[in-house]
Amino acid sequence: MITLLISDTFKAVTPEEIIDRYPNSYNHFVLPFVIGIVFIITYLLIGLIRILYHLTPQDRKKLLKSLVTPKTAWKNIKDIVLDCLLHTKIWKRKPLLGYMHSSIAFGWFLLIVLGHIELALFAPRHLSSLSEGSLYYPIFYRFFIWINPAHETLRGALFFFLMDFVLLYILSGIALAMFKRVRSIALGMRHTTKPSLADRVALYSLWAIFPLRLLAEGFTADLSGGSFLTTPVNMLFKTFFGNGLNFMPTWWLYSICLGLFFVAMPFSRYMHILTEPLLILFRNAGLKVRKPRKGFAEAEIYACSSCGLCIDACPMNVQKKNLKYSSVYFIRFLRRHNTRKITEIANKCLMCGKCAAICPVGVDSPAIRRAHRETLNNKTDYDYSYLTNYSPQFATHEQNTPTTSKILYFAGCMSHLTPRIIKSVETILRAAKLDFEFMDKDKGICCGRPLMLAGKTEAALKTIEANRRIIKESGCHTLLVSCPICLKVFKEEYKLSGIRILHYTQLINELIKDSKLHLSKSDSTMVYHDPCELGRGCGIYQEPRTVLNCIGVLKKAKKERDESVCCGYSLGSLTLDEKERTKLAESCVDSLLEEKPESIITACPMCYRAIRSKASVAVKDFAEAVCEHIADK
Amino acid sequence: MKNNILVIGGGAAGLEAAANLERLGYNIILIERDKQLGGHLAKWDRLFPDGLPAQEVLDSLLDNISNVKCFTETDIQAINILDKSFNAILSNGITVLADAVLMASGFDIFPAAKKEEYGYGIYENVITNQDLEQMFKQQQSISPIPRAIGFVHCVGSRDEKAGNPACSKVCCATAVKQACEVKELYPDADVYCFYMDLRMFGRRYEDLYLKAQKSGVRFIRGRVSEVAQTADNRLLVKAEDTLSSKPVRVNLDMLVLMAGMRPSEAGHKVGIQLNLTTEDDGFFSAKDGMLSLQKSKLPGLFYAGACTGAKTLPDTLHEARSAAMEIDRYIKENFIKK
Amino acid sequence: MIDFGFGISPSSGINLNNSDKDTFSKLAKMEPNVLKCMACGSCTATCTAGDFKTTSLRTAILNLQNGLKDEALEILSGCMLCGKCTMVCPRGINTRHLILSINKIYGK
Repeated sequence: MITLLISDTFKAVTPEEIIDRYPNSYNHFVLPFVIGIVFIITYLLIGLIRILYHLTPQDRKKLLKSLVTPKTAWKNIKDIVLDCLLHTKIWKRKPLLGYMHSSIAFGWFLLIVLGHIELALFAPRHLSSLSEGSLYYPIFYRFFIWINPAHETLRGALFFFLMDFVLLYILSGIALAMFKRVRSIALGMRHTTKPSLADRVALYSLWAIFPLRLLAEGFTADLSGGSFLTTPVNMLFKTFFGNGLNFMPTWWLYSICLGLFFVAMPFSRYMHILTEPLLILFRNAGLKVRKPRKGFAEAEIYACSSCGLCIDACPMNVQKKNLKYSSVYFIRFLRRHNTRKITEIANKCLMCGKCAAICPVGVDSPAIRRAHRETLNNKTDYDYSYLTNYSPQFATHEQNTPTTSKILYFAGCMSHLTPRIIKSVETILRAAKLDFEFMDKDKGICCGRPLMLAGKTEAALKTIEANRRIIKESGCHTLLVSCPICLKVFKEEYKLSGIRILHYTQLINELIKDSKLHLSKSDSTMVYHDPCELGRGCGIYQEPRTVLNCIGVLKKAKKERDESVCCGYSLGSLTLDEKERTKLAESCVDSLLEEKPESIITACPMCYRAIRSKASVAVKDFAEAVCEHIADK
Repeated sequence: MKNNILVIGGGAAGLEAAANLERLGYNIILIERDKQLGGHLAKWDRLFPDGLPAQEVLDSLLDNISNVKCFTETDIQAINILDKSFNAILSNGITVLADAVLMASGFDIFPAAKKEEYGYGIYENVITNQDLEQMFKQQQSISPIPRAIGFVHCVGSRDEKAGNPACSKVCCATAVKQACEVKELYPDADVYCFYMDLRMFGRRYEDLYLKAQKSGVRFIRGRVSEVAQTADNRLLVKAEDTLSSKPVRVNLDMLVLMAGMRPSEAGHKVGIQLNLTTEDDGFFSAKDGMLSLQKSKLPGLFYAGACTGAKTLPDTLHEARSAAMEIDRYIKENFIKK
Repeated sequence: MIDFGFGISPSSGINLNNSDKDTFSKLAKMEPNVLKCMACGSCTATCTAGDFKTTSLRTAILNLQNGLKDEALEILSGCMLCGKCTMVCPRGINTRHLILSINKIYGK
């Protein structure tokens, strides 16, 4: 076969090389496909208009601006190629699953692009088919346009080869997908979602599309040309069926499957293929979820691929009965407008952000949950009139050494229940000879994050305003916080320009770098627990680890960094009860004790309390551990 | 031949039961984890409600066990049932074959450091009831002379989060007793008791309460929720005076945490080997809660004292005696041929 | 207005015969936890808002049981939902959600 191809390539190109079977490029079999594609395009257009309509005018402006700004535009293209076509995010976590996704998405994309290029090269007149009086564009060009194998050229062979190669690439992905249905564990997933009817229709038609294409092109390979895949298929069939007359039903089936897939798509999880690019544009434009079901949220909802990775990720999965609170089900109920279920899941969620961190599409479902809570709680009454006139007396800790920068320390509500943290932070600041003022030693105003998490945004803005005024009036250069919950809201909502906002892990790391704090190293082993709000919330993973490496031997947890398991006591959950939280704390400790460290270190008052109540080894706060290793020099 | 009986635990319950069983003519092997016999009693200074010295009570108990084989600093390494008897291998290498076993493993004092917000182990002047008894016993005075002292009731008791939803029974009376003692030592100091409910249920307990009231101890009905340190190293205690519905703050020089009772960890380990059942609170469950309090579901294994829940000392001693009776009956019915 | 020399003023006491028990049972159904409160006062003692304005979940629950709805809402109005009370509650009551539910059921 190959020798035949090579010898053919040297023949001169003759006009007879291309045979238009149907000059108008139409045959009845294309009807199902045409109906499908017209339907999906109409659906998409209406959906897009709806989503854009529900964006606020500022958001629309923001979006438009981002599309024309070269930097974001480039990022858009890059993200779409990497995420939608190549699925790099899945590759990183589960290579086999990544291969499966990219083979189908990128492969199909290649088939379409290559097909059009081939068509443009060999039958350019079809590109301007409308001007030639024909309404049809030969999408199924292997059917409509035959390239006489006797006249095959190098470029022809190259395209035949490429097309077959890509088809093989896709088929391998489809085979994996079928295997995954049967044995999902083999691809690294413990739990997977149950598909709905539309999902099944779309899924089975998607599975059928490519094998049918192989058959259809195989049947026509001797007439229209083929390569290493289609030609042997063609020869095989010839020996079985005698002639190529079977090709008509196969092309029909192929077209029907395509049409079915397109029609089922909007009602199935496969809608994510078409919605994800939109989500990427929105995200890169910096839009935020404002309503739980409309605008940006709708794009997020339809971008969910229902893959179920979030079921395995959700810390609540330690209890089987709580599997139903995973993001994938939340989004499914949002699609179905099941308000009772939506509320139940929205209120239960820990808002630990792990599902969003591992989501291959990047659906930020905690943001949708928060938006939904807002619809429930934002309007409830409150009276914060006491905040307006409050101006505190700070407890000052001035030392003899004159320093220029003044630090304002905000311990936060929860740190007051863990006096050990406050005491350790104070000790460290003194050891580093830093002047500081204690913003809430005697009493303080809540940072506003718990209110935000509960959906009482309006009330939260009141407490934020009050604290902001106090911080601004203090004239501090650095705001030091010991609670990651506070840190997140200070960073995101306070708009404290000119003031550095640091978590104590960051400050201690700097102090060591600047040789203001000297630590002694021991050979005791420890593991670090990433608090949700500090790690996934604020992206602080490395600083605490750098410091801990200076005082001991750092071991790894089973799940850490952005996959760290929530301690269960997150303020994010509104309805999780004490017993369930205890279970979560136990699973968190299990993950931490994977490599049998001598102690567990964490950097959040909530995590500290939760882990301490369950762990069999010593549990220390980060500042406490650092305190124990302060050396004179 | 005398029948062997193994008594696990050399506290008040174990000693009293051993003495009674010895009198009934059995051969007693008593094992104790600590260096000395007496359990918590040996660590206490004086007992409520009358202020009887704990040492006197302990001495009387010890006087009655002259023929009991006592192994101190000894644990049970393995215990199993052989035929009708119990076969125990002790940590000192001795193997005991006993016809009956009395579980008198008692209680552990709740580790007060677990209640992070009270600052035990963080602030020097936060101590527990046991620490205070030690100070009394060693006649150690508090220096400088305290101006104000507080007692926090229910530390690790009636607290689901601390894993003990039950009342520890003795802390209220102990707190009031200790408050009186502190007031006697430092008449000028303000003494506060922060209680949730004052459970003065025994005979003459109410008199003790009255004595404390008369001596000027302030009773504040509210659980302490936060303890912070002031600039001059005193303690700032936050509670609610629920009777006047106002949050109260008070500066103290010393805070005494009335740590409650939790099941003995060592006893629990033995229980696991014998498949003994426990209730939700972690204490062993008796065969039934009314008529067979001293029996376990395992024939030949009996309970006495705080291993089946918080108890006062008199209750513990009663149980020890009735356990001795039950064991006697059990041996007679099962091992002595008529 | 005619002055009769005396006025009719509402009693300062609580008449449990007339207090609104139905709404409270509705609350108890939604938040069974509310019945677990043993009035220890931990929540009030630790309350962040309580440092500024009388805020007490314990009192609010009692008020609701006594049918004093307005007093209860007023005493919770300063709450910042910080969650400290949840952490210290010895009975493990989910106080944050309880406060939200009280506002939902009794609020305007």
